[in-house]
Amino acid sequence: MLSFFRDGFYQDLLILLIVTIIVGAVFSQGIAWAIDTYFGDTLDGMIGEYGEYDLVLHIRDEAKEAALRELERIGDQSFPGYKLNQTLTIAGQANFFFGLPAEFRTKEVLESITSYFGAVPGLNGYTLMVEPSVLIRGVHPSVRQELREQLEDLPGVKFTVRDGANLVIVLDSEDSVPQVTKQVQSLLKQYQILELRFPMGFEVDTQLVGDQALAILANQLGAKNRYENVTSAEYGEDLDAFLKTLVEMRDFLTSYASKVLITPDPQVRLAVGERILFAEPSDSKEEIIVEVTGVFGELIEGMIVQGQPVQSTDKLVQSGYRYLGDGSLGEYVGEVTIENERYRLAYAIDESLRLLEELEELAVQASEAVANGEAVLTTFQEALMQLEVLQVQMHQLNEGIAQGDSKASGEQFLVSLLLNGLFQTLAQAAIKTGEGSLDSLQNLDIEEMRQSLLGISEQIANVQAIDVAAIIQQIGFVRDTLPDLRDEEIGQSIRLINTYLGGQVIPGERIQILVRGSHLDEKELETLFRSELDNPYLHTYSTSVGMVNPDARGEIFRILKEVRSIVAGMLSIIFTLVVLVLDHATIFSTLKFLRSCEKPIKRRFLRIFDPLFLLGGVVGSIILTSVYYLSRAQIPLVTLPVVLLLGFGLGVLVVVFAERFSPVHSMEVMAGQSLGLSNVQIMREVVIPPSRPGLMNLLNRWKQQF
Amino acid sequence: MLDIKGLHKHYGKVIALDEVDLQVHKGETVVIMGPSGCGKSTLIRCVNRLTEPDGGAIYFNGQNVLGLNSVELQGLRRNMGFVFQQFNLIARLTILENVMFHLVLGGMDRDEAIVLAKEALAKVGLESTWERRPHELSGGQQQRVGIARALVTNPELMLWDEPTASLDPILVGEVLEVMEDLVKNTGTTMVIVTHEVSFALRVAQRVVFMDQGRIVEEGSPQKVLENPQSEIAQLYKKLLAS
Ligand SMILES: Nc1ncnc2c1ncn2[C@@H]1O[C@H](COP(=O)(O)OP(=O)(O)OP(=O)(O)O)[C@@H](O)[C@H]1O
Ligand SMILES: [Mg+2]
Repeated sequence: MLSFFRDGFYQDLLILLIVTIIVGAVFSQGIAWAIDTYFGDTLDGMIGEYGEYDLVLHIRDEAKEAALRELERIGDQSFPGYKLNQTLTIAGQANFFFGLPAEFRTKEVLESITSYFGAVPGLNGYTLMVEPSVLIRGVHPSVRQELREQLEDLPGVKFTVRDGANLVIVLDSEDSVPQVTKQVQSLLKQYQILELRFPMGFEVDTQLVGDQALAILANQLGAKNRYENVTSAEYGEDLDAFLKTLVEMRDFLTSYASKVLITPDPQVRLAVGERILFAEPSDSKEEIIVEVTGVFGELIEGMIVQGQPVQSTDKLVQSGYRYLGDGSLGEYVGEVTIENERYRLAYAIDESLRLLEELEELAVQASEAVANGEAVLTTFQEALMQLEVLQVQMHQLNEGIAQGDSKASGEQFLVSLLLNGLFQTLAQAAIKTGEGSLDSLQNLDIEEMRQSLLGISEQIANVQAIDVAAIIQQIGFVRDTLPDLRDEEIGQSIRLINTYLGGQVIPGERIQILVRGSHLDEKELETLFRSELDNPYLHTYSTSVGMVNPDARGEIFRILKEVRSIVAGMLSIIFTLVVLVLDHATIFSTLKFLRSCEKPIKRRFLRIFDPLFLLGGVVGSIILTSVYYLSRAQIPLVTLPVVLLLGFGLGVLVVVFAERFSPVHSMEVMAGQSLGLSNVQIMREVVIPPSRPGLMNLLNRWKQQF
Repeated sequence: MLDIKGLHKHYGKVIALDEVDLQVHKGETVVIMGPSGCGKSTLIRCVNRLTEPDGGAIYFNGQNVLGLNSVELQGLRRNMGFVFQQFNLIARLTILENVMFHLVLGGMDRDEAIVLAKEALAKVGLESTWERRPHELSGGQQQRVGIARALVTNPELMLWDEPTASLDPILVGEVLEVMEDLVKNTGTTMVIVTHEVSFALRVAQRVVFMDQGRIVEEGSPQKVLENPQSEIAQLYKKLLAS
């Protein structure tokens, strides 16, 4: 096989390989570079060139026109020479890039962005992107000031700007970014936040226990001044609020559930978590299962976890038995009392509703009564007035009888007698009430009576004016909105909240200790704190006081570079395969044909380790490896041996399928042989010219004579 | 001039040539005949080593053909014209180029090569179709180009492997005519594999019959075809008679 190359074709092959490698490297790097440039330009278009803009203002999309006008106004007024660019709208939010003129790029301006831009319509917030800068994220408030002072003393640092929990370190020049980044990192390493977390239900007085913790540290490790209790209330505010709500919720549900008290049999020991079943399911048909939630000496509390006791405002007393896992009854444990505030509440509401309805009726009746009373009074008054007139007449008559006519007739005497009698009868009623005579009737103060009647009537009217119906409706509504939870549902909810609060899912109270200097091992300290603070549930964690963040642009470009390397790698592989198929398959298939005319190989080892496969493998390996490294390709996990092997594999593969990729024109080759052409001439004049267009075909044009 | 001794060739289990001995003298025209698959092509291709024999020896003008290195072999081949059954022309080249390109590649001046090629083409009766490509020609014309290509180097020995076997019967005549003309007018030594019995009778000085990789009978055509000894020769005699 070597003789095939000996008469000159090896030169062609060598040149082909070199050119292939160069072209391959240029090709894959070129495409990778194009990707680079394309994305780079796109990025620049999006976020401006380095240092062009200082902040991004996030504006609600619908307000962006108004915002633009306002931003221009602010710019003209406060920052003459500003730059403004509106770029992408993402998720309903327009982003305005605002560049401050150099003289305004100061700490003072950058820290009072809100006072300048706060009134921009639709402003949803802003992001500082001053460049060149280094960003520290999540700076712990306890060290912020201290850190800022140290940072501003670093060479290359212009000033620092606080941006929420972040700290932006503005630099003099882009060149000092790596050096400042390194220094900031070592500065941050001087601090550590040691956090002690207490699960819910084991909350502690953070000041007190914090001081104890400091003392423990000082005792154990010395250097008292290194530690500081920096537990801050603002830290984790939302979480705290949420946890508090959960606790409130649990308390509410607890008070709402049926109270279960167990009076245990003296011989019985009950533990929290045990379940108790009632002998017979009383009136309700369901089984009721109670779980013990607390044992306080003789007092044992429980909670219904299954079933619903009969609705009753009275205490329900039942004999309880241990509940065995299989559903059967165990030993007698004691009397179980179930009281339900919920039913009592509902009962109370129902009662008050009834009362209200009656009150309304009463008011109507009362007002009718008052009206009646008034009518009686009027009649009474009129009667009295008539009585007065009659009395006067009677007086006159009596007097007339006595004086005027001494010789009064018998008729007159009779009349007088009758009248007196009548008067007496009339006065009878008055006599019965205690007054002796008509005079006492006259003494009644009708007007006062009328006034007080009027007062009553007013009060009744007031009662009637109250919209009792509305009150009834509202109270009814309250009753309806009382959670319609079954006891078992309440029980389950409480259990759920307890697992949530009690577990490690959400930390309970926490104590934060700022540690200066060398780093402490928080896991070792956990054991120490657990024993010293006598709290087996506490956990210790260690966090840093801030994280140096690569700036967004740098990060994007790093990713871009990675993508570029991967693309270059993929292209190298594709390129190698294409070149092998277009060019080398022709050589391989010709070699295969020529070998078939020769004496068959006798040596077994050569039949297995076919030198043609070796050739293909080596060629593939050389091309892929060279192109891969020249194009600065890098695919994760693809190391040099992998590349070599991959190239080899591709080469062998192409050898195997060489005739499929590039069939030999065997008759033409034979003609060439019979005409006394050398192998290199056969390749150049017979085989390559009609082969697939490729590098080999192209290069061959220089050598080809026909 | 050509001395083949104990030539042996097998393809796997198939024995294509089995201890073949053959001598060809200068200026002689030898026709090899035999049934399909008897090893004629293999034999003739071993002469210029288009096929490598497994054993035996070939001498050409006293030169050990099987011992030649590749450069020497190329020289030898230039001295042996070979005409293929399938013509084996280079499809992308014109007729003229097909006939001259190996001259140029062999170091001859282009103009000189063109002159020689045109001469050769004239000898086979193709004077005007030089710029055409092989697929534009008839089979007979293509084979004549193949013949011109073989004889343009003015070889000492011409090897023909069934030059008319893949031709239309109508076109066979024109090729045989050219061949006969060449045999009679050039005096070149020829080894011709063919099934054309009457042609053999006319041009051959010696006829060789092969069967299953072996030479079964040889002699002057008159002698062999009139008084055939082997089965094969008898078959060919019948063929001639019909
Ligand atoms: N390249 C090859 N690989 C395997 N077997 C072959 C090859 N060439 C020829 N043979 C076999 O060798 C034997 C001789 O073949 P060869 O071509 O010499 O016969 P031939 O007499 O020329 O026949 P034809 O008249 O068909 O051309 C045949 O059995 C053939 O199948
Ligand atoms: Mg044959």
